Amino acid sequence: MAITADTLRHAATRARDAAALAQDDLNAADGRLGDGDTGVMLRRLFEAVATAIPAHENDLGIVFQACARACASGTGSSLGTLVTVAMMTLAKATRGRSEIGWDELGGLLASIRDQMMARGGAKLGDKTVVDMIDAVASALAHCATRDEATVAAQKAAQDALDAFRARPNKLGRARMFGERTIGLDDPGMLAFSRLLAAVAA
Amino acid sequence: MKKLMNAADAFVDEMLDGLVAAHPTLVREARVVRAAHAPKPGKVGIVSGGGSGHLPLFTGYVGPGLLDACAIGDVFAGPSVDSCIQAIKAGDGGRGVLRLYGNYGGDRMNFDLAGEMVEMNGIRTTTVLGTDDIASATPDEAAKRRGVAGIIYAYKIAGAKADAGADLTEVTATAQAAVDACRTIGVALSPCQIPGAAKPTFEIGADEIEMGMGIHGEPGIWRDKLRSADDVADEMVRRLLADPITDKSERVSVLVNSLGATPLEELFIVYRRVAALLRKDGRTIVRPLVGHYVTSMEMAGLSISIIHLDAERERLLAAPCACPFWRV
Repeated sequence: MAITADTLRHAATRARDAAALAQDDLNAADGRLGDGDTGVMLRRLFEAVATAIPAHENDLGIVFQACARACASGTGSSLGTLVTVAMMTLAKATRGRSEIGWDELGGLLASIRDQMMARGGAKLGDKTVVDMIDAVASALAHCATRDEATVAAQKAAQDALDAFRARPNKLGRARMFGERTIGLDDPGMLAFSRLLAAVAA
Repeated sequence: MKKLMNAADAFVDEMLDGLVAAHPTLVREARVVRAAHAPKPGKVGIVSGGGSGHLPLFTGYVGPGLLDACAIGDVFAGPSVDSCIQAIKAGDGGRGVLRLYGNYGGDRMNFDLAGEMVEMNGIRTTTVLGTDDIASATPDEAAKRRGVAGIIYAYKIAGAKADAGADLTEVTATAQAAVDACRTIGVALSPCQIPGAAKPTFEIGADEIEMGMGIHGEPGIWRDKLRSADDVADEMVRRLLADPITDKSERVSVLVNSLGATPLEELFIVYRRVAALLRKDGRTIVRPLVGHYVTSMEMAGLSISIIHLDAERERLLAAPCACPFWRV
């Protein structure tokens, strides 16, 4: 079965619930490097997405566009803006289509990665959510079914989290903590892996 | 930490309601505050924005000779793309808009996106980023430095230039030169807390200070036991003067700014030393500012900014301006 607007509506509800559950953990992870509001931001963002997603719309582009608009007005945090960028990228890529194949996900994530790098200025290796999206995009490149995709994506996300834990953050506010970020999970990566696990479940 | 507020979620909106109620020269439209006179036809617009929690920055500097409009976010979180678009439109008098704000990732992304969107409506925009915090990156990575209190000099100088009828290119160049000529360093004594957060943004011992800490509690250069005002001022001025600046000048303006809880008494004790140090260094201080200009709510500590003045910057600094917190 392909990905349709119903898949997205279902995923949006799960993402909203997962963001609410992850709020305290993400605030705590961010509190070690930032001002401790990543969890609150993520919860507000996905509450807005779940509310804004149209109930009777089959065009995936229009559904993603509504999500992008909700994100753009909902928050000014950099994480929120990156999610907006991701939604806009998806909206452009899926305009006019009522379904996409699981084998297309890797390519879509790769475009999101590129757009996020262009907007946010992150490079691969900076220890940001972009590194995790890059890893998941590569893993999804060889998946044709939902089952394959969920297993591969979650494994790639976990591997990225584990691999980057021992490295320092090189961008934004976390950069200023330098060597002290070694051993810590990047809050953006942690957020992405939590959402992924919820949507895949 | 104790806060006199109602619901944490209402903190920013209720603050903005009160700000515009007290100052009829300001008009609030959702998360944008614009000057009652804006947009002024034929004048280049100056628009800024950022997170709440820094009053008088950002919204307090809206007024003639300073900002035309300002987009404001939640406490320590940037304004949304929508607010940035709305602020740019509110500031556009038909000759383009300078986006003048601090160098923070989220703010940059949102103002960039907003700029692209208003371009479709035929509004020309340029960007100048405040990058005055010398503790936030080394001189060879100066483009990564964050914007702190020194940005108000750029507001004043760019605002006066725009008032004088300069075009967007000229206003942008003047604002960039003002940023390039200005350096700031802060010192923190105690933290602040975001409304609704479980604990303060950082922890620091009762007898400790942190040199170089940023206005959101970004880590600084060192943390050690509290020292005398003169010792702290000496180190801050030494670091500010040692930082490379192309356009150094004998005439400077100085801002000794409270981060929130530090009282005027302590600011003047520090200013007295700063003035003596600069005199000894052969410099003349023009139009010094001492007070609460860019804060972090109840954080204790202060920042010192020095801007080097050429003849034009000195003239623009002396031009008339009026906002709730700064009048020339």
